[in-house]
Amino acid sequence: MELFADLLLIAIGAALVNNFVLTYFVGLCPFLGVSRRLDTAFGMGCAVTFVISVAALLSWTMTEFVLRPGAPLPNWVWSSLNPAAEAGEVDLSVLSYIVYIFVIASSVQLVEMYVRKFFPPLYKSFGVFLPLITTNCAILFACLEIMKHVVARDWGLPESLTLAIFGGVGFTIAIVLMAGIREELELCEVPESLRGAAITMIVAGILALAFMGFSGIGANVEKLLNP
Amino acid sequence: MTLLVVLLASSTLLLLAVSMSFVLGWANKAFHVEVDPRVEQIDAVLPGANCAGCGYIGCTDYAEGVVNDGASVALCAPGGESCAEAVAEIMGVEVEETWPYRAVVHCGATLPQRLGVNDYRGERTCTAANLVAGYQGCVYGCLGLGDCVEACTFDAMKMIWGLVQIDYEKCTGCGACVETCPRGIISRIPFKAERVLVVSCSNEDFGNDVRKVCKVGCIGCGACAKLSDLFTMDANLPTLDYHGAAVEEGDFEKSMEKCPMESLLYVGKPSAEDLAATIDEELPGRVEPDFETTVDQAEWRG
Repeated sequence: MELFADLLLIAIGAALVNNFVLTYFVGLCPFLGVSRRLDTAFGMGCAVTFVISVAALLSWTMTEFVLRPGAPLPNWVWSSLNPAAEAGEVDLSVLSYIVYIFVIASSVQLVEMYVRKFFPPLYKSFGVFLPLITTNCAILFACLEIMKHVVARDWGLPESLTLAIFGGVGFTIAIVLMAGIREELELCEVPESLRGAAITMIVAGILALAFMGFSGIGANVEKLLNP
Repeated sequence: MTLLVVLLASSTLLLLAVSMSFVLGWANKAFHVEVDPRVEQIDAVLPGANCAGCGYIGCTDYAEGVVNDGASVALCAPGGESCAEAVAEIMGVEVEETWPYRAVVHCGATLPQRLGVNDYRGERTCTAANLVAGYQGCVYGCLGLGDCVEACTFDAMKMIWGLVQIDYEKCTGCGACVETCPRGIISRIPFKAERVLVVSCSNEDFGNDVRKVCKVGCIGCGACAKLSDLFTMDANLPTLDYHGAAVEEGDFEKSMEKCPMESLLYVGKPSAEDLAATIDEELPGRVEPDFETTVDQAEWRG
């Protein structure tokens, strides 16, 4: 029950309260670049959710067993080389960024090849977005967030995956909302100086303001679950 | 200790790199997809406008259709003959005899020729106006608000006196306007000659009712069909079968002379006589836009 309550809080936090795009402002390039049309925006959202989950799984494994201070693998190697060493003194967390980027890039490649082979229609609809996701900072952000909690020893795999999946869902919500607004915006008479990127940034800002309204939900849900 | 971290870090990265390249290399083989090289070649010779005039989603999809489903090599309207030949060469087939398709408008009434036109203050698009009863008397003809002009990506359509005119030097026959027109008065027909005869009316009512709403509409008298076998009367309108026997210039002289409403029009490249007749006419230097003849996007919306 406690795990479930934790997961629910993490899910709500990742999807709404601390929405990756609209609160932390990560993943802004696809948020502004691919939000011109509703269907492509939804495709991009789904692709990001998928890749973020795969990357979170891999990066959690790497962090837990290799990268965190006192991780089992490097310490085992070290202690077998040097029996006199103290347990848990090796810290490879300096490698975190490069390993995460590495993991994200290769999982994107793998996912692309897999989808292309086994789901051609799916590949047709969001195949073009997959390479874009490699450099999507929302995914690196999720990996780093997971690392923070793994290093502090308060998150296991379920929490990490929940953050990743619902972070992706939050990204999808944000980009689909944005695409809907931008489709309507095409029909509006925007003052000339604001046309194009300018009005898009303003709309994104207003959307972020609206999402601030979700803050406080977390505390109330916690109260509800643990009266 | 520092040396230890460096060693462990580099060996970690090395291991990761080796294992990932192994996994990706295996995946590249295991998930290999055969792509017909002809698809890419055809995709390269297509115009890449993705206009969907061929009936496929885009140019790449059409290329796949040609290679995999045996679609005709001559479906690309903007690419025209040269494109069809290039595609046929890649596929190793002959181009069947084809004609360029062009859009034609089956309405010939300019704004002053329409009767029962009412003041309309709604959204200035045909789609919106078509929903309103009483925009104008004729419920079949051109609304003149220019949805087709908006839809045309080749800048080939113009509104002149509230009636759409097609510039046949620019029209590629992609069919975007045909899809857009809410009244369905534009059709794509094969241009077997430089000029093609068109019945410029879509009104299916009886003569008396047509006269009430239009000064030039076809009254369905059937005179043209009596004089030429190429016309068939259907729903009070003569129709021409453009796909059947070659409909060539000159077959229709008698029908055209007889038509009381002058609803039979040649469209396409102007003939030498037409050019000679208009060569001395002075063209107006500059036409000021006025409310009735232009659909100005900046106009207020009701």
